Amino acid sequence: MSAQAFFIGFFGLASVWFGVVVFRTHSMMRSALALLFSQTALGALFLSMQAEFLGVLQIMMMATEMSIMAIFMVMFMMDPGGLGEMDMTHQKRLSLAAGFVAFAAAVAAAVFVDWGPVASVAPDAAQQTHDLGVELLGRSMLIFETAGITILTAMIAATAVAMPPVKRIRNK
Amino acid sequence: MNIELLLALVTGAALFGVGIYGALSQTNLVMIMMGVELILAAAMVNLVAFWRYLHPDAAAAQMFVLIVMTVMAIEMAVGFGVAIARFRAKGSVEMEEAAELKG
Repeated sequence: MSAQAFFIGFFGLASVWFGVVVFRTHSMMRSALALLFSQTALGALFLSMQAEFLGVLQIMMMATEMSIMAIFMVMFMMDPGGLGEMDMTHQKRLSLAAGFVAFAAAVAAAVFVDWGPVASVAPDAAQQTHDLGVELLGRSMLIFETAGITILTAMIAATAVAMPPVKRIRNK
Repeated sequence: MNIELLLALVTGAALFGVGIYGALSQTNLVMIMMGVELILAAAMVNLVAFWRYLHPDAAAAQMFVLIVMTVMAIEMAVGFGVAIARFRAKGSVEMEEAAELKG
């Protein structure tokens, strides 16, 4: 087994394990932190697959995103520390079955599909970043710009939805 | 089959399964969002693996990953906006209590 395969397996396992911990702990803070570790392991997995830019971006983005999620967890949950061991699940059997079927179907597709010839080398990090920059500002510019506008719209919409209702004073 | 590609795809499949379980089994809006995050993470793993082992010269594959990251950020922004509105109106983000739109 190559070193790359070892690290992909290791970080993949870590990512899945922390993903499972998200839904197994009663503490919401631990849930948010487990998701942060899962996403960070995923970033390390990207680095193992020589996707340097995406790996670093994933770690940076998820660190901030999951910190915000942890704050929201503390704000909204009735028992953020999980001391009461409240059960906040429903339809457990159906969910387990659906999750297992989804996993089995995806693994079957991964194993039985003929993926064609496999590339042995990837471009170096500088070349990758250069190629991605040319792609973003060239052929895929419209998609990239649309993504930017969409996220701006979502931010404005989310702020508008979250604002308290305005009390109108009638002048009669 | 290439062992590295297989490991990455199995990781993606496992994350997808865990995400489906989380999104369906949790009653809290923020926890449901965590399940959706894992599903999107699974998509990203597959995209990076396909880029690295099948088309390393196609930068469009990396661009797709950026789009999935954008979708994650949008999901978070809109989800938390809805969570704040719901909390303000009902004092809870438990989704079992949110059946007003049920037919």
